[in-house]
Parts: sequence; structure tokens; C-alpha cells
Amino acid sequence: MKLSFSAEDEAFRAEIAAWMRDNLTGEFAKLKNRGGPGDEHAFFEERRAFERHMGKAGWTGVGWPKAVGGRGAPLSHQVIFFEEYARAGGPGRVGHIGEGLAGPTIIAFGTEDQKRRFLPGILSGDDLWCQGYSEPNAGSDLANVRTKARLVGDRWVIDGQKVWTSLAHVSDWCFVIARTEEGTSGHKGLSYLLVPMNQKGITVRPIQQMTGTSEFNEVFFDGAETAAENIVGQPGEGWKVAMGTLAFERGASTLGQQMAFRNQLDEIIAIAKANGRARDPMIRQRLADAWIGLQIMRANALRMLSKAEGPELPREAYVSKLYWATWHRDLGKLAMDVLGPEAEIAPGSPGTYDLTPLQQLFLFTRSDTIYAGTNEIQRNIIAERALGMPREARA
Amino acid sequence: MNFAFTEDQLLFRDTVRDFLAAECAPAQVREAAAGDGRSPARFDKLVEMGLTGLTVPEAQGGLGLGLVDYVLIAEEAGRAALPELLVDQIGIAVPLLSRFADRPEVASVLEAVATGAAKVAIGHPMDPFVADAAGADWLILGKGDAVHLVPAASVALTAETSVDPLRRIAGVEWLAGNDTVLSDAPGLWDEILDLGAIAMAAQGLGLAQAMVDLAAEYARTRQQFGKPIGSFQAVKHHLATVQVAIEFARAPVYKAAFTQRPRDVSHARIAVIDAAAMAARTAIQVFGAMGYTYEVDLHFFMKRAWALAGVWGDRHYHLDRMARMVLSDDAAIGADATFADN
Ligand SMILES: Cc1cc2nc3c(=O)[nH]c(=O)nc-3n(C[C@H](O)[C@H](O)[C@H](O)COP(=O)(O)OP(=O)(O)OC[C@H]3O[C@@H](n4cnc5c(N)ncnc54)[C@H](O)[C@@H]3O)c2cc1C
Repeated sequence: MKLSFSAEDEAFRAEIAAWMRDNLTGEFAKLKNRGGPGDEHAFFEERRAFERHMGKAGWTGVGWPKAVGGRGAPLSHQVIFFEEYARAGGPGRVGHIGEGLAGPTIIAFGTEDQKRRFLPGILSGDDLWCQGYSEPNAGSDLANVRTKARLVGDRWVIDGQKVWTSLAHVSDWCFVIARTEEGTSGHKGLSYLLVPMNQKGITVRPIQQMTGTSEFNEVFFDGAETAAENIVGQPGEGWKVAMGTLAFERGASTLGQQMAFRNQLDEIIAIAKANGRARDPMIRQRLADAWIGLQIMRANALRMLSKAEGPELPREAYVSKLYWATWHRDLGKLAMDVLGPEAEIAPGSPGTYDLTPLQQLFLFTRSDTIYAGTNEIQRNIIAERALGMPREARA
Repeated sequence: MNFAFTEDQLLFRDTVRDFLAAECAPAQVREAAAGDGRSPARFDKLVEMGLTGLTVPEAQGGLGLGLVDYVLIAEEAGRAALPELLVDQIGIAVPLLSRFADRPEVASVLEAVATGAAKVAIGHPMDPFVADAAGADWLILGKGDAVHLVPAASVALTAETSVDPLRRIAGVEWLAGNDTVLSDAPGLWDEILDLGAIAMAAQGLGLAQAMVDLAAEYARTRQQFGKPIGSFQAVKHHLATVQVAIEFARAPVYKAAFTQRPRDVSHARIAVIDAAAMAARTAIQVFGAMGYTYEVDLHFFMKRAWALAGVWGDRHYHLDRMARMVLSDDAAIGADATFADN
């Protein structure tokens, strides 16, 4: 065990810190701390330009192997990268689904051709990705996917519907779980397809969130097509690949997320000190509890990532989603309680529905316990896999 | 002792509930949110039912009913997320004005309120904004201890936006004059705060119940893993836990309406703020991603509860007040004192 950073780590820290300081300036200065959860609409094009700018400088795919164009950074450097990015107020990444989910899945399960075809676009920030898992009848019960794909000549032809697809309206590609074997149900007969979004067989309808903005969408596939070779893993083995992607969803990027959490908590503490609420014993204790929670998450994440090799999740990972989601939902509420009567006042003129960053945080954190596996599903998984309890009865 | 409502009170409550179910259904609330937020036609019907005159003394043409009658109506207004100015008026402004009904100018305001010809908005000096100030003919405002009844023509409003798309709030600038003073009795604003807190608590109760009802209905019909999600114990227990919190908030609210004592009011207020927050969090969870949308009605109730939790003394304020009452050196404690004064 070694919890400190080496001199070499610190040199890396100085490098990324300097780069952020020198580059989050000029036209990009206004992106500081923007584009986070609930604020996804802010400066989208400018953030996309910043993503490209990072790509040119080699700051995308920091944890990806060198062989596929990444930096091949060890875990300690990934931690440092996310820390410094967040410390500098780096904007919400528009390419995070590609960098964090699609890319690692292709690296782990894809062919050499697929790596050559798809990874450079993710690294350069040119190709944005979205995740086509959920359907109207396949939420928690993801294996109930009904979207169908059949091979016609050298093309997959896809019919069906996805829902809650984040960023589909701006994405170039979507990784889609579709049923490719007729008559199958559940985990069997599913395939993992990479589908270009810009085609006439695909219609995207934004869904308005309670924040008033639209970050997620319904995606309709009506004879949509993709090339036969754009399948990751074997036909019928999509479930295994899909679960691999979910494991990445809980990987090193959670460290960056914790830095963002840290910034949010610091802001809330600063407000509590300024408006006097920090003297209220209950608020004081909740703030201290929140701080403890952050330390727990960080310690758990470092422990988990020290063990993680490839897409299999170590035991510690089962508990982390449940923990951070619940912690963050509580933080959103705490922010409103610290604001007191001011919590109600939205910026902007009547008739518009703009919210302050903390109001957005409050609303967005209502969804933390839902996406990427609801709290209830996480608890079922912990009980069944970690504690070996019998599976819930299914219909 | 009888901690129960009369048959008449419950019947009237049911009438109002049926009316709001027909005239203020979630679809109509949504429509109001997309438009200018208020329905004059619905307000006229509230007047016709006698609701604006509910607490106005009979001498001024009202029904002369008290807070115990009104609390059930306020709860229904919350349950329907009624956008129009009703509860603040009949539960805070009118009970206050009625104390001064012997003054002709106040009596005429009360008469106009009962007939729907005038509206009165009220804001506690502790809160930075006044709800429904824009549509009001009269505003009850404070300067120091003094309570003023100010005609709309004498105030300048700055509209603000609430997180609740249906709340209309405004900052109010005005000059206090001798002719507008209703009373400068010390402590009167504290009593008004209690009325406000009861009004918020009663509505919060209805809002919480509405959210649980929506979620329970969804849990009965939404299927995952081949069954209604309501058949999963995790979902059942979530909603049952909230229902327990609502039931345990209900008795304190009714008691507070009856006694109007600060400690009962603060107790009710805290219990409802907690129950409504839990109802909102849980209902969204039960709806899954649907619950996070603007397209499902739930958020209208959630946002109203959110907004109302901050005004007329938030949880922090009331808990602090409660602590001072319970922990003061001369507080009566012990088994014989705790329940002695029910
Ligand atoms: C902000 C946001 C972004 C999202 N982005 C994406 C995206 O980019 N791509 C994508 O594919 N999906 C996305 N999703 C969808 C997300 O994955 C689903 O919302 C999630 O899987 C839950 O499904 P559901 O919403 O259909 O809820 P349901 O599955 O209908 O669940 C409703 C309730 O029932 C409970 N429940 C269900 N089954 C059980 C059980 N067996 N035991 C106990 N309780 C149960 C749930 O926990 C929940 O409380 C996003 C969701 C949100 C909120």
C-alpha cells in the first residue's frame, strides 16, 4: 500500500495544471465550471471546440493504452488528471460517453479494424457518442430490449425505439443493444451495434426534463442501417459487451466526478458561511457529514481501481454507485436548505425557466439514484451477488 | 375531547375535492403553466362556491367559518396544486383583517373579497417576496412591528421568477403612510407568521398526498420484469414509509389549525416539510426516469412543495423556534406538563 504521490506523479500534476491554466483562457475562459449536470446546454459548441483542443494536445483518452493513441497513464496519473481538470474548473466534457464508455468497450471487445475506425474520432473530439440501452419497456429490466436488427446483405437494418438517450441530439454515433435473433428473450440473442446517428432512418425527439432543458431524448429507428462489421463481439453476445460498458461507467471517471462533487460542496460551505447558516448546528453537522462521505468515496474508489483489471468489476464496485448517488442526492437537498428562502428564486425573467447552478444541482441530483442502475436495483445486486441471497422472483 | 371533523366539514371538503378534481386536474395545471398561470374562469367558480368568503365574517357576507373548517380546504388546494390565489387570502389575510372588521374601510375590503370583487395578497417582512402581489387589489405589508393595508396603486412591483412555474412572486416597494396602518401592536407579525405557517403546512400535506397517490398509481401499472413495479417490496416499502410520514404530519396540522399555538404550528410545519420532501424524493424514484421529466405531472407538485417550504418560516426557522420553546429555562417539562394543555 502506498497512498502518496511520487515525484514523477507531481511532475505530471504540474504539467496538466499548467496546461489547464494556459488553455482555459481567451475564448474558452467562459467555459469555466459550466456544462455540468443540469447545465448540459451551456456553451455546447464552445465546449465541443474545447474537447477538440484537448484532443490535439493529447489530453483525451489519458487512461487509454498508448497502442490505440491514448496516454497509457497509470492510475495515479488518471487520478491527478481528473483532480486538476476539476480544480481548474474544466467544463463538462461533451465527449465523455465516447471516452468513458464507447472507447473502452471497443478497446476491450472490438476488432483491430474497429479500433482504427472509431478510436481516433473519439480522441480528437470529432465524434460524439450516445448510449442506446433503455427502451420504454426496458429500464431496470434492460434485458427486455425489443429493438430489432436483422442482417440484410452487408447491412444491419434496425427497427425499434430507445428512450432517455442522453445527448442523442448532438451525437454522431450510438452504441445500441438490439435483438438480432428472432424468438429470443432476455439476455440471449442480443447484439451490440455501432450505429451512425446522422441518417434518415433515425428520428430524435428531445424529452424535456424537470429542469426545463432537454438533455435526453427518444430515438426512433425506422429501417436505420449500419455496416455489417459495426458489431462489437459476436452476434448474440451483446449482453456480455453491454455489461462490460456498464463496468466502465463506474471506473476511473468516478474520480473526476468526486472532484466535481468536492467543488460543489466547497461552494455550499462558502454560502453557508456567508449567510450564517453554517452556525446552525444541524446544517453544520450535515456539512461535516457530507465531507466525510466524500472521503469515503475517494478511499473506496482508489481501493477499487487499484484492483480493477479489464472490464470485470471488483466487489467494491457494487457499493459505489449506490453510495455516491445517495450522497449526491442528499447534497442537492442540503444546498437548498443552506439557501433557505432564497432557494425559491430563479434567475431570469418570468416566463422563462432558467435556474441557478445550485437549483439545477438540486433537480439533477433527483435523477442520480435512477440512471446507471436505480438504487433499488443496486441493492438487489448487492444482496444477490455479494451476499449470495436468492434472486428476486420474476414473473 | 373530540379530535375529529364534523360531517359538514368533511362534506364540504369532499365537494371542494370533487370540484378541483374536475376543474384543476393536472392537465389543467399544466395548461396554466404553459399560459399565464392563472385562470379567471376557475377563480370565478371558486367565488361561486363561496370559497373566497369561507373565513370572511357573516356580517361582511362571508360564511364566517374558522381555521378548522378552512384547513381541510387548504389541504385540497395543495392536493390539486391550485394556481390561483386562494389559500393565502382566506387563511392568512382574511383572518387578520377580520380582527379589524369594525373599521368601515376594512369591512368593505372583506366584503369585496367575499364576492370576488377584490383580492388581497400578504407577505411577511421576513420573506423577500410577496406571492400573487401582481393580481391583488390590496397588499398587507410590514414595516417594523406595524401591519399595513396598502392599495395596489401605491406599490411598485418587481416580478421575480419562482422555481415553481405556477407561483407568481414579486418584490414590493412602497412607502408606509399613517393612513395605511392596520395595527402596530407588537407581536402581531408573529401571529400572522403562524397563520402563514398553517397555510403552508396544510397545502404541503395535500401536495405530499398527491405525489404519493401519483406514484402509487404508477407503481400499480408500470411493468418491469413482467410484473407491476408495485409488487416489488422495495417500491412498496418506499411509498408506505412516506404514507406513514404524511399521516403523522396530518394530526399536528389539524391540531395547529385548532390551537394556533406557536409550538403546535412549528411542529406541524416541520412535520409537513419533511413529509413533503420525502414524498417528492420517493415519488420521483418510483417513477424512474419518467419522474425526472417535465412531461410527467409530478414535478408541478414537487416544485410547489419546494417553493412553499422556504416561506413563512422554513424548517430551520421553525425548528429553532421549537428548540427555544422546549429548552427555555422556564419551559414546563415532565409527564404532567407535556400534554397538560391540549
Ligand atoms: C438523467 C438520465 C439520463 C439517462 N441517460 C441514459 C442514456 O444515455 N442511455 C440509456 O440507455 N439510458 C439512460 N437513462 C435511463 C436509465 O438507465 C433508466 O432510467 C434506468 O435504467 C431505470 O429505468 P426506468 O426509468 O425505466 O425505471 P423503471 O425500471 O420503470 O423503475 C421504476 C422504479 O421501480 C423500481 N424497480 C424496478 N424493478 C425493480 C425490482 N426488480 N426491484 C425493486 N425495485 C424495482 C426502480 O428502482 C424504480 O424506482 C437515463 C436516465 C436518466 C434519469
